[in-house]
Formats: sequence, structure tokens, C-alpha cells
Amino acid sequence: MSRRPPRGEYIETDTGNKVARKATLVGTQNIMLGGKTVIQPDVMIRGDLARTIPPAQSASGGPANNTAVAIGRYCFLSKGCVLRPPGRMYKGVFTFMPLRLGDHVFVGPGTVVQAAQIGNHVHIGAKVVIGEFAIIKDYVKVLDGSVVPPNMVIPSFSIVAGQPARIIGEIPEGGIEAFELRDLYKTVGNNPQPTTS
Amino acid sequence: MSSATPSPDPRSSAHGHHKRHSILPAVSQSGPKPPVQFSSSCTIADSALLTGPHTIIVSTESVIHPRARLESLGGRVTVGRRCIVHERACLGAADLQGRYHKGIPDKDGRSMGAVTLGDYVTVEVGAQVESGGTVIGEGTTVGIGTRVGAGAVVGKHCTLTANSTVAAGEAIPDYTVIYSNGLRRVDKRGVSDLKNKAQARQIDVLRRMIPSNPAKFQ
Repeated sequence: MSRRPPRGEYIETDTGNKVARKATLVGTQNIMLGGKTVIQPDVMIRGDLARTIPPAQSASGGPANNTAVAIGRYCFLSKGCVLRPPGRMYKGVFTFMPLRLGDHVFVGPGTVVQAAQIGNHVHIGAKVVIGEFAIIKDYVKVLDGSVVPPNMVIPSFSIVAGQPARIIGEIPEGGIEAFELRDLYKTVGNNPQPTTS
Repeated sequence: MSSATPSPDPRSSAHGHHKRHSILPAVSQSGPKPPVQFSSSCTIADSALLTGPHTIIVSTESVIHPRARLESLGGRVTVGRRCIVHERACLGAADLQGRYHKGIPDKDGRSMGAVTLGDYVTVEVGAQVESGGTVIGEGTTVGIGTRVGAGAVVGKHCTLTANSTVAAGEAIPDYTVIYSNGLRRVDKRGVSDLKNKAQARQIDVLRRMIPSNPAKFQ
């Protein structure tokens, strides 16, 4: 009997991204992963909903780089979350705008993200809904079950909860280190390293 | 951004293989293949999931996104004209106990069918519309993650915001907005026509973006 090693649950790319085989990535040519990003199983990313009106200036580079979803470094997309570019009527035509995630963004399980932009070091809880064109700045914590309404802007260092989401607190001075996702990245994958406590 | 290549093909091999455009893990066709009636102008994504013994009808210019589920286990599923069903939405879902309701027949004895969507309805990501004679009125938006109970009758031009719940058998009047944790108010903006026009524009764009494959289901 052949003794091939079992296929790992994750595909690890050269840039260190760990993408689960059971994740659903539609339109991968429009999805940019920053590097060292983890995508768990059952995640769905809609890269096919890309902008159809290329910017007027870049006539030569327009269609070649039509990013629908741009994700930064050390992001962690938990099981079952959905990333979907927001869309709206723009100059008489319905267009999808790019969804941009910063670095060290943790997206909890079952969350649906339709924001326009998410900053760096953001922690999004489980079963959260982020409405279309929301803008989340840096170092924000969105608690489980929140519903961020469309077009909301969440300032940096806030803690947000509720349905509709309201700012309920601020990140304390010493709470910044909790947002780092480097250790979490190492615990996932085909060769998970145990958590260093 | 550290990756230089525009497309992060995780299976990037040095052999210059034909680049994969999507990673869609195969979903086995669980359950019987339903009889379908598709309009010629509707857009059904290739990886939509249609199961059940009863008929599924999709009318003119409606769009079914990839990984949307249409289950006709409790009865016929009818999608109206110019509807949009987003991914991971389920029409004809089982209730929380896992039962597929059949729906009480109307006064003439005809079956109500599992789920009926009016025209211009939008069912967003992860919404669960239970089977059992559930009716969603024209122009209504069923928000992300919403659960509409079996047999509920939702009026026209309603807005059910994200993660809201409609109890089984409940009747929601027209122009209602369900928000926060079950609060209700009436939508007095009078923008139904504008919303319908915007939906038609959105469908024009989606029809070009989503490769349709109705032949797979027929």
C-alpha cells in the first residue's frame, strides 16, 4: 500500500499564507493576501464581486489589478466567516467597491463582513455582522454578536457592541499587545506549534 | 502587501499551470435533484445548491449567488422576478428542530408551497427562510442571518435587518422595519420605486459578473 503523507488541511503558500482546502474562495485573482494570513475551513470570500468601472487614469493597468478583497499580514479568518465587497449605486451604475483589511485583523467564526475598510489590529468577535461601507479604524474590538450598521465609522481604540452597534468603551493603555496575532498564526496549520504560555 | 503576484493562487506551481480562478470545494449533490422551471433570463450560479423533490421556480432576471441553497423538501419554492438570493442563504430551510414544515393548504385546498418570494426581494447572506407556506412580499429585504419562521407572511417593502427573527406563522404588515432586538417601526420614506429601480440596476451588473449555469440543474 502506498504510504503517501496525508494531505494537510491547509495549503501553505510561499508568502506564508495558510489557506484551508475547504475554504470557498470565489474569484481568487481579485483576492490579495498580505502574507502569514490564516484562512480556516468554511470561510467564503467573494473575489468575483469586483469593481466594474476601472479608475479613469490607469487605462493600461486597469483590468489586470482589479482587487475585490485585499487582506493584510497576520490576519486570521475563523471558520464560517464571509467576506464580501460592499456595493452601491455610483454614478448611475451599481458598483462593488474593494474591501480592505489591515494587518493583524481577527475575524471571528460565523461573521459576515461587508465593510469598506478595516484598519490594523482589529478583533472582530463571533457572529458579528458588519454592514456595507462601514469603516473600522485601528485597534478596535467588536464584541460577539454585534451588528454594525451600514456606513458606520468606528474610531480607533474603541470597544463596540450591540445591535445596532454602539461604542461602549475604550481600549485601555495596556491592552494593545492583545491584538497581536503572530502567536495565533503559529498554532494553526499543518504543523501547528503549541501555544507558548 | 508582501505578495508581488496579483493573484494569490495558493497552488502556485512553477510549471506555469493554468491558474485556478476559484477554490470551491466540491459539494456533493445531497438529496434528490428537483424539477426546475427557470426563466431564460435568470442567473443561477454554478455552485448554487438546489435539492428536494418539489419544483423550484426561478422567475425572470432573478440572481442566485454561488452557494445559495434552495430546498424544496417541504414543498414548492417560488422565487419571483428580479430577486437576489445571496450566498449561504437558504430558502425552504428546516426549523430549529430540523423539521421541514409542509404548510397549511389555503381555502381551495391547494398547497401553499414551501417558500414564495415576491418580485424584487433580496435575501442576504446566511438568511434562513423556513419552509411551510412562508411568503415574502414584494420588495422586501431579508437581512444577513435573519431567520423567518415557518408559515410567516411578510408584507411588501419590509426591511428585516441583520440577525432578526420572525416567529413562525407571524404576519408582518407592509413597510415594516424590524431592527435591533425585535423592535418594529414603519418605513415612511416612500422609496419603494427607487429601491426597485436600484435592484434592477444591480441585477444588470450581477448578470455579467456571475457565470450562470442553469443547464446544470435542468
